Parts: sequence; C-alpha cells; structure tokens
Amino acid sequence: MSGLLALPIALPIGAAAVSIVVGRWRAAQRVIGVVTLVALVADAAVLLARADSDGAVVGQAGGWEAPFGITLVADRLSAVLLLASLATLLAVLVYAIGQGGVERNHVGFHPVYLTLTAGVSAAFLTGDLFNMFVSFEVMLTSSYVLLTLGGRRDQVRTGMTYVVISLVASVLFLTALGLIYSSAGTVNLADLATRFTQLPVGERQALALLVLVVFGIKAAVFPLFFWLPDSYPTAPTAVTAVFAGLLTKVGVYAIIRTQTVLLPPGDRPQVLLLSVAAATMLIGVLGAIAQNDIKRILSFHIVSQIGYMVMGLGFFTVAGLGGAVFFVVHQIITKTTLFLAGGLVEHRTGTGNLDRLGGLVRTAPAAAVLFLVPALSLAGIPPFSGFIGKFALIDAGLDDGWWGVVAVSLLASLLTLFSMTKIWAGAFWGEAEPVGPGHRLPGLMVGATAALTALGLAVAIFAGPLYALSERAADDMLQGTVYVQAVLGR
Amino acid sequence: MIWLVALHALVGLGILAAARYLGRWAFALGAVPMLAALGFVGRHGADVLDGGAVTETSAWVGRLDLAFDMRLDGFGLLMLLIISGIGVAVMAYGTSYFSASAANARIAGLLVLFSGSMVGLVLADNLLVLYMFWELTSITSWLLIGSDSTDARARAGALHALMVTGAGGLVMLGGLVVLGQEAGTYSLSAILADPPTGGAVGVGLALVVVGIITKSAQYPFHSWLPGAMVAPTPVSAYLHSATMVKAGIYLAARLAPAFALVGGWRPALIVIGLVTMIAGGLRALRQHDLKLLLAMGTISQLGFLLVLVGTGEPEATTAGCLLLLAHALFKAALFLVVGIVDHEAGTRDLRELAGFGPGWGPVKVVTVVAAASMAGLPPLLGFVAKESAYEAFVHEGAWGAAVIAGLVAGSALTVAYSVRFAATVLPSPPGDAPAVHAPGRWFVAPAVALAGLTVLGGLFVSTLIEPVVDAATLVLDPSADHVHLALWHGFNVPLVLSLVTYGLGILLVVGREPFARAQAALAPSFSGDDGFAATLRGLSIAAARTTRVVQSGSLPVYAAVILLTAVLVPGAALILNGSWSGWPRFAETPLQALLAAIIISAAVAASVVKRRFAAVVLLGAVGYGMGLVFVVQGAPDLALTQFAVETLSIVVFMLVLRRLPARFEQRRPAIATWLRVLVASTVAVGVFFFALISAGVQLPRTVSPGLIERSLPDAGGGNVVNVVLVDFRGLDTLGEISVLVVAGVGAVALARAGRARSTEEAGE
Amino acid sequence: MTRSPIMDTIADLVFHSAIVLSLYFLFAGHNQPGGGFVGGLVAAAAVVVYYVAGGMDEVRDLSRFRPWTILGGGLVLASLAALVPLVAGDALLQSDYVEGDLPVLGHVKLTSTLLFDSGVYAVVVGLVLMVFEGLGDEPEAEDHT
Repeated sequence: MSGLLALPIALPIGAAAVSIVVGRWRAAQRVIGVVTLVALVADAAVLLARADSDGAVVGQAGGWEAPFGITLVADRLSAVLLLASLATLLAVLVYAIGQGGVERNHVGFHPVYLTLTAGVSAAFLTGDLFNMFVSFEVMLTSSYVLLTLGGRRDQVRTGMTYVVISLVASVLFLTALGLIYSSAGTVNLADLATRFTQLPVGERQALALLVLVVFGIKAAVFPLFFWLPDSYPTAPTAVTAVFAGLLTKVGVYAIIRTQTVLLPPGDRPQVLLLSVAAATMLIGVLGAIAQNDIKRILSFHIVSQIGYMVMGLGFFTVAGLGGAVFFVVHQIITKTTLFLAGGLVEHRTGTGNLDRLGGLVRTAPAAAVLFLVPALSLAGIPPFSGFIGKFALIDAGLDDGWWGVVAVSLLASLLTLFSMTKIWAGAFWGEAEPVGPGHRLPGLMVGATAALTALGLAVAIFAGPLYALSERAADDMLQGTVYVQAVLGR
Repeated sequence: MIWLVALHALVGLGILAAARYLGRWAFALGAVPMLAALGFVGRHGADVLDGGAVTETSAWVGRLDLAFDMRLDGFGLLMLLIISGIGVAVMAYGTSYFSASAANARIAGLLVLFSGSMVGLVLADNLLVLYMFWELTSITSWLLIGSDSTDARARAGALHALMVTGAGGLVMLGGLVVLGQEAGTYSLSAILADPPTGGAVGVGLALVVVGIITKSAQYPFHSWLPGAMVAPTPVSAYLHSATMVKAGIYLAARLAPAFALVGGWRPALIVIGLVTMIAGGLRALRQHDLKLLLAMGTISQLGFLLVLVGTGEPEATTAGCLLLLAHALFKAALFLVVGIVDHEAGTRDLRELAGFGPGWGPVKVVTVVAAASMAGLPPLLGFVAKESAYEAFVHEGAWGAAVIAGLVAGSALTVAYSVRFAATVLPSPPGDAPAVHAPGRWFVAPAVALAGLTVLGGLFVSTLIEPVVDAATLVLDPSADHVHLALWHGFNVPLVLSLVTYGLGILLVVGREPFARAQAALAPSFSGDDGFAATLRGLSIAAARTTRVVQSGSLPVYAAVILLTAVLVPGAALILNGSWSGWPRFAETPLQALLAAIIISAAVAASVVKRRFAAVVLLGAVGYGMGLVFVVQGAPDLALTQFAVETLSIVVFMLVLRRLPARFEQRRPAIATWLRVLVASTVAVGVFFFALISAGVQLPRTVSPGLIERSLPDAGGGNVVNVVLVDFRGLDTLGEISVLVVAGVGAVALARAGRARSTEEAGE
Repeated sequence: MTRSPIMDTIADLVFHSAIVLSLYFLFAGHNQPGGGFVGGLVAAAAVVVYYVAGGMDEVRDLSRFRPWTILGGGLVLASLAALVPLVAGDALLQSDYVEGDLPVLGHVKLTSTLLFDSGVYAVVVGLVLMVFEGLGDEPEAEDHT
C-alpha cells in the first residue's frame, strides 16, 4: 500500500505522541508541529497529482484486502479536500505560534492540534464507514479539548453545547452503523455501495437518511445547526478558524460521499437536499445580520455557506457537484482566512464588538486588506474564488431549471455582501476608537493570514484547472462505479 | 487589452500601497494608465473606425465558459474615449482639488482601480467577465463614496449605492446565465450575432434589465445616486455622472438592437426611461444644493439615454451614442465647476452663493457653455444629440409621437434646470460684498478643456464626432446605414421641436415660483431613500426575529430538534415504503428476557432518580447488564472489556461527583417535562422499530465469517476479537487510543483550569 | 489520612497480582481472551485499588514516569507499529510474526502486533493516571462554598 495514503493519518498521531513526550519543551513542540504539517502538505499534493492522473489511490491498512480490513482511498475528491485542509492547518498553526496565547500556555495544544489533523485526514481518506466514525471521534475529541483550552468560564459553558450535541451526533452515528451492519453486513463503503442496491427500498432510503442527518449535524445544516453559532465564537481565534474552515466541511464531504456512494441515481433525496440548502443559506445569513460581533457574524456565515454546498450536491449533476466541490475548497481557505483576519482585529484592539471598533482602515491597514479580500470572496464578488464557486452553482441550477433555490442563493449572496459591509463599516471605517488592551500585530500572525489570503487568490487564478478537477471528481462520484471499482476491483 | 486592465490594477494598487509617500503625485501617477488607454485607442483607432475590431482572449475557467475575451470595437472605442478622457481630466483636476495627504492619495488609487474596471467592462466580450467588471465598479464606487468614512452620511450613502447596484447585479447575473444557457455561449459578440430565441430568453432579459436600471439609476431605483453625492466632487464627476452610471446604458445599447422586440423590452425601457427623465428633471428643479441639482439632472439624462439606446432602432442608437458623449463632456465639466465653487466658496447652496468677481471669468464661460450644451442649444454637441434624438422618433407614427412628447417635456425641464444652475454662477458680487477667492489656473483648466470639446464637437461634428458615432452605430446595429451628422439640417421637424422645447423651458423659468409651489404640493411624501431605509429596517427585524426563534440558546431544545429529525426523517422513509416485515422471536432463552428487563428498568430508573450518585450506579447497572448479555451470547472478551470499562467509568464518575452537589439541580426546564418525555419516547420507539426492521432484512454475511476464517492462518492469532482490534481493524484502534490520549490531556487541562479558577475566586 | 497496615498489605497484594494478570492479558491476548485494552483496564483497576488505599500520593509514587509520559509513550509505541511497516514498503500497521522454540518458554509465537497492543496498554494506564492527576486530589481544599 502506498505510504502516501497512510502518512496523513499515522504521521500526525506519531508526532502528537512525541509532542506529548517532549512536553514543556515548547520549541521542540513547535518544530514537530510545523515540520509534520509541511511534510503532509507535500504528501497530499503528490497524492492529488497521482489520483488525478492515474485514478484513485487505494490502500488497505494492515494489508488486508477489502472488505476485511480498513480501506483507505484517495480519489480526486478526497485528495483535493485533503490538500486544502492541510495547507489551512499549516497556516493556522503558524498563526497560533505567532499569537502565543493558548499555544504558549498549554502544553496540550500542539499534540491535540496534531490529533485533530490526523482525524481530519482520516475522515477524508477512509473508505470505511466505521473508520469514518473513529476519524470523527478523533477529530471531535480533539476539538472539544481545543475549544475549552484556556478554560474561561463562558468558553467552558458554550463548549458544553458543542460537546453535548456532538455526543448526540456520535450516538446517532453509532446507531446508524449498527443498523447498517445489521442489514448489510459490511461497513466498507464500496462494499456497501453494491449491497445497498440489494436492500429493500425503504430500508435503503431510511439508512441513507439517518446517515444524512448524522452528517448534517456535523455540517451544520438547517435545522441541525443551532449549536454552531453558540459555541464557535468563544474559542481562541486559531481554534475557531480551524473549526470554521474544516470541521463543517468534513461533514459536507461525508454527506457528498455517502449520498453518492450509498444511493443509486434516482433514489437520491434531491428535493429534500435542495430545500435544506435553501433554508440553510437563508436562515444562516439572517442570523449573521442580527449579530454585532465579528466572530459571531462569521460563525453564522459558516452555516449559510454550507447551504451552497448542499445545493450543489442536491442538483446531482456533474456541473452541480463539481461546483460544490470547488465551493468546499474555496470555503475551507476563505472562511479560515476571514476568521484569522477577524482575529487580527481582536488581537489589535482586544474586542470583536463592532460598536467598540472603528477606523481600523487607518490604524491597521494590513488587517483591513487581509479582511477585505476574503470578505469580498465570501460575498461572491468576482474575480475572487467565491464568485467562481457561486457562478458554477447558479449555472448548474438554472441549467436544470431549479429557479427557486437559485433565487434564494442569489438573495443570500446579497445579504452576505450586506453583512460583510457591516463589519467593514463597523470596524474599519469611522472614527478610530481608543484601542483597549491592544497589541501590535506579530509578523507571524499577519504573515500566516497573508499566506492564506494568497492561497485564496491562487484558487481564483488557477480556477480553470481546479474547477476542471472538481468536475472530474464529481463525475467519478456520480458514476458511483468508479469508486467501487477502484476499491474492490470489480 | 488585458494588459491595459492589468496596468490600471497595478498602478491603482501601487498607489494604495504607497499612498503615504505619494501625496499629490498620486493623481499624476494615476493618469498614466488612463493616458496609456488613450494611446491604445490612438494606435488602433483608424482600424476600428473602419469597422475593424481588436480581439484578444485568455483562458480562465474553460469548463465554465469563463474566459477573458476582450474586444475593442467602435462602441467600445467611444466608451473608452469617455472613460479614459474624462479620467485624465479628473486626475488633473484632482491635483488641485485635493490637499496632499495619504487619504487623498488613496482616493487616487481607488479612482485608477475604478477606471480599470470600467475599461474592462467596455472591452469585455464575455458576459461573465463583463459582470465581473460590473461588480468591481460597484465595489470601487462603494469604497470611494465611503472614503471619508468618519462621516456617517458617507457610510450610509456608500452602503445604499452598493446594495442597490449589488442587488441589481445579482439579478442580472441570473439573467446573464439564462441568456448564456439559451445561447449556448457566454460570448457577447456570438450572442448578438445569433440571438437566442428560446422561451426563457424573455425572462433572462427581464432580469438583465433589472441590473441595467439599478446601475443606471433609473426610477424606481434612482435614489442611491443622490446619496452617492457625499463623495468628493471629482469622484462624483467621474463615477456618478460620466462613467459608472453609463454601464447600464452601455449594456442596454449592446443588447437592444438584437432583443428590442423580445418580450416587453422596448416599451419597458422607453417607459422607464421617460419616467426617469421627467421625474429626475422635476426633482432637479427643487434642489438647492448645486451638486444634487446636477445629480438629479444626471438621473434625468440617464432616463433620456435609456430611451434612446433601449429602442434598438439605428437612428435612436446613433442619438444615444451622441448623447453619451455629449453628456459625459458637459456633465463632467459642470461637476468640476461645482467642485471649484465648493472648494473656494465653502458652500454649494445656491441660496447662499453670493456672486463671483474677477478671476471667475473662465469658470463662468465654462458654466454657460456646458449648461447650454445640456439645454441643447446650438452650436454645441448637446444640440446635435437632442436634434438626432427627436429625428429618431419622428417617423415612428403614434408611439413615436408619444415618445417625442415625453422627450420634449423632459428636455424642457432640462432647459429650466440648466438655466437655474448657470444663473447661480453668473452674477458678480455687489460692490461692497467680499469677493469669493478665485480658483487657480490649473484648477479650472480641465473644465475648460471639457467645455472646449463640447464646442468643437458641435462646430465640427461631421469631422470630429461623426466617424466615432458612425463606427459605434454600425457595431451596435449591423443593419444600420452609415451615419451623417451635421449641425444644421435645415428647417425641419426636430428643429421645431427644439424651439418648442426652449419655449417651454423659458416658460418654466419665468413661471418658476408658481411651478415650484405646485411641485411642492404634488411631490410624493415617500422617497426612494425612505424605501431603502424601510427595507433595511424590515431586514434587521426579520433577521432578529428569525434568529431569536432559531437560536434559543437552549441545549435541550437543540438536542430535541436534532433527535426528532434523526428519527422522523428516516422513519418517514420506512413508513412510506411499508418496510415493516413482522415481529421477530421475542427471546431465545429466559435469561435474555431477564437481562433485558434489568437493563430497561435500570435505564428508566436512571432518568428518574434525583441523586447523582444513584444515577451513576444505575447507569453502571445498565452497563453490567450489557456485559452479562455478552456472556450469555458467548463473547467473553467483550464481556471482560465491558465490565472493566464500566468499573472504571464508575470510579471516574465518583471522582467527579465529589465536586458536584449530591442532587440534580431543579431548575425550571427549558422544555416542559411532558414534552421531553414525548421526545425521548419517540426516539426510543423509532430506533426500536428501525432496529427490528434492519435486523429483518439481513443480507448474506461475508465479512464476519471472512474474519474468523483468516484470523489464525493469516494473522497468527487465535482470539478473533483481539486480532480484529489490533490487526484487521488496527487503524480504528489507533484512532481510538488517540481519542483516549486527547481525552487525558483535556481532562487534566480542564481540571487545572477549574482549580485555577477556584483559587482565583477564593482570592477575590 | 490515617492508614492501616492491613489495608496496605492487601492493597499491595491485590495491586501486584492485578498487574501480573494485566500483563498476562496483554501477552496472551492474541490467542486467549484478553489483549492490550483489557490488560490496560485491569492495570488501571489495580491503580484504583492503590488510590482507595493510599490516596493520590501513593498513586504518584507508583511509577517513575509521569502519567503524561506514559500516555505519550504508549501512543509512540502504537504509532511505531503503524509506521515502521511503511518504511519496509508494507502497508500501514501490517503485521508479521515469528515462531520458534526457545529454552524454558517452549514454543513461542511473537507477533508484531504485540508492540501495538503494548501501546494500547500504556495509553489506557496513562489515561487513568491522567484522570487521577486531574481529579484525584481531595476536593475539600478547593471547595470553598
């Protein structure tokens, strides 16, 4: 089996272990973290190149042929999301090191950050539904700890919401796995794809819907997202940024993967997904408009943007799904950048409350630029990556005559622009407010944010090849047989 | 041509980055890309005027048909001349208007970026690229209007402009996509060469029209434009009179010849245009702020332009091109005059402006010339434009006559407010009044140049203007004949109409007081501004209400919604498909039934007891019960693990319980108890039946027997459970022990944090 | 805390036998009921006995290594078992075993998964020690309410 597939999972776990052992020796922890992530980014890049040129890279953990062991698969979809995620994780780690804070005060930060990395990688790479559950557990447990590190009282309290809802989701996931294994007798995704067609239609749909609900909680779609805006904003910036950029997207990935693999065409819950998408887009962005704090506004936008991805999936066409894949890549990078830029503001001024901010375009022009670019991208303003994703989705939707949901997406897009201008007018325009317990912005924080902004711009500049790749990924998935053939060889 | 846009972007961003060091030089530097654009026009001018076109393409997102197809043709050339020519004048003017400061240098940078977007817009031959530059002009306009962001009115005006044009832009994007899909291409020239005719084309066009009329400040979306007048005057002159607001006109002109007869395009655009022209003119007469007067006049003229370019007939198109050019020249000149007046006198209120003494001569000349051109007096370019507009409709029968009536009314209003404007600047101060400081020579020069062009363009219309307008018309409407322009057409109907217009205009001037009273009485009390404000209010109320309902902040509510969704959605699929296949056997041995009874009673009891300790013990009983089930089913390994885990869990619970009150807190629950019982029972029943149904449709097993088969021979272990854990599914175990490690780290961190907090609070 | 010598002796006895049992589970687990996870849990239970008898100080004195190190070390072992086969060009976590006859022990089959299972064992023990580290101290000192 290709070591390339195994490294993104096993290496960060090993690195986390060493990071724990070296303990309070902070410099060593930092080197371990950064070196590991750099290596993994390179690994993921090679993986993506291989998956795109030679087809899915498949490996069996322990060398046991599928479906007896655990299959790892890097097809175009998982490889491209893996690469975007790891690059983001690397940038945020550098940002966290620059900021100090939890990273400096807690010996646990680095190891847990690495296990989070392992969980995210495993969720993308695994071709096994039970192993996906384990990956989610690794990712979520790490996120619980990161969310409450530093342990301010409100942080622990809102952390509770997150932990309890995530546990509910885990219980439901486990229930779904039990039911699936009981009916189909396997948890290997490719094997499930063939076996699901043999199940009675009611059972098949019900199982797929239960899985959809489970991942819908993780992805934060309506009506399952209520926990997210309550819990994300209180965590330290670096942590929130990673959560915002990655965790919900892993949920979206899982939805895309399972709904295409488990259900044959014609059996897929199209209208349900599109309705959910419309409600998610609209209610999410309305929530953002009602907020007055940068991180809270951005948190609601996470939800709203998830709706776009679900919409793309809901079309169940190559164009729609391709647009969704592109959109996920764009969101991973852009959303993280926005949170990092919001963090720059908070670091500089000591607050994210728009009523107490102002004039930063003059006093912190770097933060202003680093906010404006991803903000416009989020709002779907061309030529930024958000526009390309949005356009691909609109194009796909209108092509199939889904006027209603496309109209909702355009409205949500306008409201997103409105809410971005609200942050801009509140924090960057106006009279400069007296700076509270502010700090100068460390070079590493600004540098990491700038690097991620540049990556977002690169997504727009190289949108041609990237979108073509997304469509190829979508084509693989919609055909269904591609994945099964890669894994089972039949 | 992309290099031209890129040059603008580069210079603009460069100026923004180096704003602190540039001072006034920023404006000189900013003129460079605009001059380059004019040079570009000069280089290809002869070719393009002959009917040629310069094209260039550069791929972007091929699969989405998104490519930088650029094309300089006759109409593009006309627009480019306006954009870059006025741009140079405005930049030259800026060096005098603005003081040297980083903030003002940034305005120069943004102006260059805007200019680049505008250049891209008129050169784009791909609808999506056109849309891209369209949005970029909105964004740069937003930043420019808000450039003095400490002024709340500036922030509000910027937002208003962005929201209206942004909303229109998004609607238009939908329309462009529909058009592109009907045509099978997003190439503008290809669509116009072979216009799609499918049923959805009308819908697409209607959506595009929304974009056009918002961008070009047509009624009922005009109100953002007066709000945008808080921007510095050079910005207003450039964006909000000469160029950006023409973007909609530009697109309408491109599309009209091909689509004028589709759906309601022509009547809709003509009606909207006429309403805008007349209403704008009426409002211009009521303004006291010179700049707002011009803004309203701009709205009126934009309506005029929309009528002309929206009709889609060759003659009207020609008139539209002429008016585009004429309006850009005279309106920009007038705005520059307002800026000079404001700069020197400190006010723009025509009731306060007292008079202008010696040294104001050039300004007065410019004002009279430009206002006369606006009023359509010969021998100026404005006159030629208006004459050809009348000419375009005189042969169109009844509807043409109706349009002409509207145009005459609107133009009469234009005459009236032109007089009103010019009259402010003309008087000299009374003998003893202090004279307003006269502007410097270079401050006035750009306005003089623009006014001069208005005169020259009128006098030498056939040599200077005709080639450009001819090329533009032929590009827009290939069915058109060559254009012949002249200042004097002889004594014909349009001339009569012009005379009528002047007459009516003079009547309005003479009878201005009764007319003003009538207007004040009849004017609607509800303005577009109010509409926008009400929309925003409504939006924020809707947002707050929705969010209050959705984000109750109550964990039990969130959990209940999630659990119900998880049960009801799949449940519906099961029920609708009639999946129930009957009850299975109840139990294989009485022992199973007994254990089940124990587990169930313990679980129910755990949810009812009041003391935490009792709840923990009962949960333990559930766990041990499960362990016994494993024993009964012959799985000693699982049983062993289950017992050990249960034991340790209880120990850990005990450690935690020492820090908690003995009883559960009896707060008022967020959800009524009966509701919680209902939710819990629904979930329990749902999962129960789901499990029965799933077990009922077992497919033949391959994995489980396969593992047992392989365990000893291949993995070298007799204990299948352990081999599964460490070998077959070792990766799961690796993940799970990572979870344990993280949990350990987290437990210590949380406990430490709690301890630190306690000591902290104890110390307080 | 007052301590009774009888309690001490019993605790010692139980502790040591439990540790032996846990090691048996670890080593025999591949063929008999047991395994690293169960073994670790039994060892953890032994620690609980010690805690009940002697409190936190006794638990801290049990091992030269800090719980932090045991936890991390366990994960290091398990990751090594996962990663080393990759170096040899095998699959992640690929197992191998050698059989042979040794003096005294007789026929012995040594599986590479034992390394992995030892990691699991250490992590479980380390986790329980961590929990005691976090929550094991008497709460009275900080419970000022």
